Amino acid sequence: MIELHRLTKRYGDTLAVDDLSFKAGPGHVTGFLGPNGAGKSTTLRLILGLDASTSGHALINGRPYASFTRPMHEVGALLDASAVHGGRSAYNHLLCLARTNDIGPDRVTEVLKQVGLEVVGRKRVGGFSLGMKQRLGIAAALLGDPDVLMFDEPVNGLDPDGVRWIRGLMRSLAAEGRTILLSSHLMSEMALTAERIVIIGRGKLVAESTVAELTAAYPSLEDAYMALTASSVQFGGVR
Amino acid sequence: MSSFAGVLASEWIKLRSVRSTHLILVLGISAVLLGYALANMAAGMYDDAPPQQRLSARIADIEEVVAIVPQLCMGILGTLAITSEYATGMIRTSLTIVPRRWPMLVAKSAVVGALGLITGATAVFGTYAVTRWVLGDRFSGAYTAVFADRLPLLIAISVSVPVFALLGLGLGALMRSSAGAIAILVGLVYVIPMIIGNIPEPWSERLGSVMIGALPREITGDTITTSVYGSLLPPALAAAVLVAYAALPLLAAAWLMRRRNA
Repeated sequence: MIELHRLTKRYGDTLAVDDLSFKAGPGHVTGFLGPNGAGKSTTLRLILGLDASTSGHALINGRPYASFTRPMHEVGALLDASAVHGGRSAYNHLLCLARTNDIGPDRVTEVLKQVGLEVVGRKRVGGFSLGMKQRLGIAAALLGDPDVLMFDEPVNGLDPDGVRWIRGLMRSLAAEGRTILLSSHLMSEMALTAERIVIIGRGKLVAESTVAELTAAYPSLEDAYMALTASSVQFGGVR
Repeated sequence: MSSFAGVLASEWIKLRSVRSTHLILVLGISAVLLGYALANMAAGMYDDAPPQQRLSARIADIEEVVAIVPQLCMGILGTLAITSEYATGMIRTSLTIVPRRWPMLVAKSAVVGALGLITGATAVFGTYAVTRWVLGDRFSGAYTAVFADRLPLLIAISVSVPVFALLGLGLGALMRSSAGAIAILVGLVYVIPMIIGNIPEPWSERLGSVMIGALPREITGDTITTSVYGSLLPPALAAAVLVAYAALPLLAAAWLMRRRNA
């Protein structure tokens, strides 16, 4: 369970996240949508304690992130798949993360297998495609077998096979009773994967609903998204 | 409780699993080869000199001369240990999985400091052994004197190497950029002493005494008049200044790291 209570983040004059409250519950995928610059990534960083909120707070399973001493067992997150040292092997990359939370090498081998990277585990990450790095990032998030998972644009760079794999993975992780917060711009993918949707624009909550409700009220999830965010797009051409 | 041993193991894996570390270590220890070449040149010049000149011939401490190599290498290793994380963005992951943040910096310091000490001692004592072997009793027996008399200086120079590693790490954590941190490191160690060497006395001697290069000799009390640095500090104070070079940037970085958005 992820809960945001009036979360606010101000950078100088810019209000990146503005009094944002929503919940993402266990057992399903919650889609996290919004135009570029809406504050999605900032929100994820605030939840993970990477940035300090100006006011309000975020709780994971009822506790603030900073209170976890071995957070990988509570929360797994993929923020930026290319944020890896290109000279390190996939195995060593995962192992150095795992060790900080007292996770052993057997689990590293296990997650490498789970994401389909076991044959390239000893290869340098620098030679990986973006899709392979996404798989590596997902493997890192899964290391501690956490109840709560957050993925920022995990589908970017994946081939059709990978996109289908992620869809299946997200659903099966949710079916195991985990909380999944998934940010993506691919509406068709989101319609297939998510059960609930949270849409933000200019840092504020625009809509919190189920996919079923949105697709009943609009021709498609994409149409719903376009209509709901029409007034909060900051960077875009004429619609 | 996330064990500090785990964070320490993590930092060791990070360091040993990239090629740049291996390259820098080899380069740092290659100072012994430089020492060997210098000793050979000195021996050749000594042997070619007429007997009266040989009597008065003196030789600089070759360990001190070549220590620049492991010092700089380890300074760069320390810098890269943290700036490579900022450059790739991996720092966000590192700080997410160790939310208290400072254990990561302490673990990095321990790993980088230990590697620095091993590299420094290998380079310095290796150079001593090679130089002694090459020079024999030339230069009035400068290198055949009692080893115990020379030991304090060799230890002090060896210890200056991990200080460079920690200074590099601290500057890297403060600057969050390799270029910025390495520029400051080189400026602090080579450029500023050159400027200080050219300002009027007594400030040249005073400021020269707190330069990092002056400290090993001040700590051992084995000061020489030909040094480009000053020699005003008593041993205990010099040791404290050496510790401060390593500790102050790191403490400032740890303080900032707790507050900065990542």
